[in-house]
Amino acid sequence: MSQRYWEDVREGEALPGFALELTMTRMVQQVSGTQDFYPVHHDRDFACSGGHPDIFVNTAFTRAALCRLLTDWAGPAGFVKRLGFQMRRYHLLGDTMLVQGKVVKKYRQDGAGAVDLEIWAENAREGIATPGTATVHLPFRPA
Amino acid sequence: MGFDIARVKAEWEGFQTPVAQGRYPVEFDPIRRHCHMVDDTNPLFLEQGICPPVMVDYFASRGAWPPGEADILGIVRKIPTPGDRLINMNHEFEWMRYVRVGERLAVSHKVVSVDLKPIKLDPLAIWIKTESRIADERGEVVALRRNQILVHRTPEQVKAGWIRPEAAA
Repeated sequence: MSQRYWEDVREGEALPGFALELTMTRMVQQVSGTQDFYPVHHDRDFACSGGHPDIFVNTAFTRAALCRLLTDWAGPAGFVKRLGFQMRRYHLLGDTMLVQGKVVKKYRQDGAGAVDLEIWAENAREGIATPGTATVHLPFRPA
Repeated sequence: MGFDIARVKAEWEGFQTPVAQGRYPVEFDPIRRHCHMVDDTNPLFLEQGICPPVMVDYFASRGAWPPGEADILGIVRKIPTPGDRLINMNHEFEWMRYVRVGERLAVSHKVVSVDLKPIKLDPLAIWIKTESRIADERGEVVALRRNQILVHRTPEQVKAGWIRPEAAA
């Protein structure tokens, strides 16, 4: 895992994203990994009775994916300072969730090299279903 | 049968739970399950004992199942809303430091606001904002979390004019 340094970051730079196929097995992993047993995330009949088109991934799964995007990019000495997002549309069973981001701004903050990012999760049905923002602190390149 | 949002706001806005200790310390096994669900192979988490930052509330709580007093959804369910279906709409974290395997965390929650804002699905949809403070064994805050939760009725409940009995004015 390589280290990213603040000096090397460019505003507008895209983060290497990744895709997660939301198979039924992945939905089961979601319940195991988050211990969120609210049936709207694993019981198709329950979800549909509530007006939802199908079961959909929960907040903890979504934030795990967005956080992975940031920690993969920042490297071992990076620090995720802030992460926020909106669950605007569904990521449903059968969708492929694409997790992506880009650098918006870099600046110095409290002695740290700060980077503001736009991050999001999208799928083919909805486009960007989960927009978000984050701030990551990166180390300075050793002199 | 009606619903009195002013009464609910007066009763619940500002409500704060006492600090509750997490049921278990920060542990490797839940971290690994968390990572594997999103194909995260980061050795910081899988091997070196750093807790993924978004898991601090997991370890500060009593777990999502069975629902406990320390869980935010358990508190939200006690607020007398017309509906009983919950969706987490907005979620924000700020971290002061990362925590490690073996640490013990605690949390207190606050209900910041309760508002009636109709949605297409339900004219009596309720939006609840909460704040959670997650602290370490010394009481120092390691993370702040803010949530906005939507509580609504099912289409059948809306059609029937159903309201939770505890919410009926």
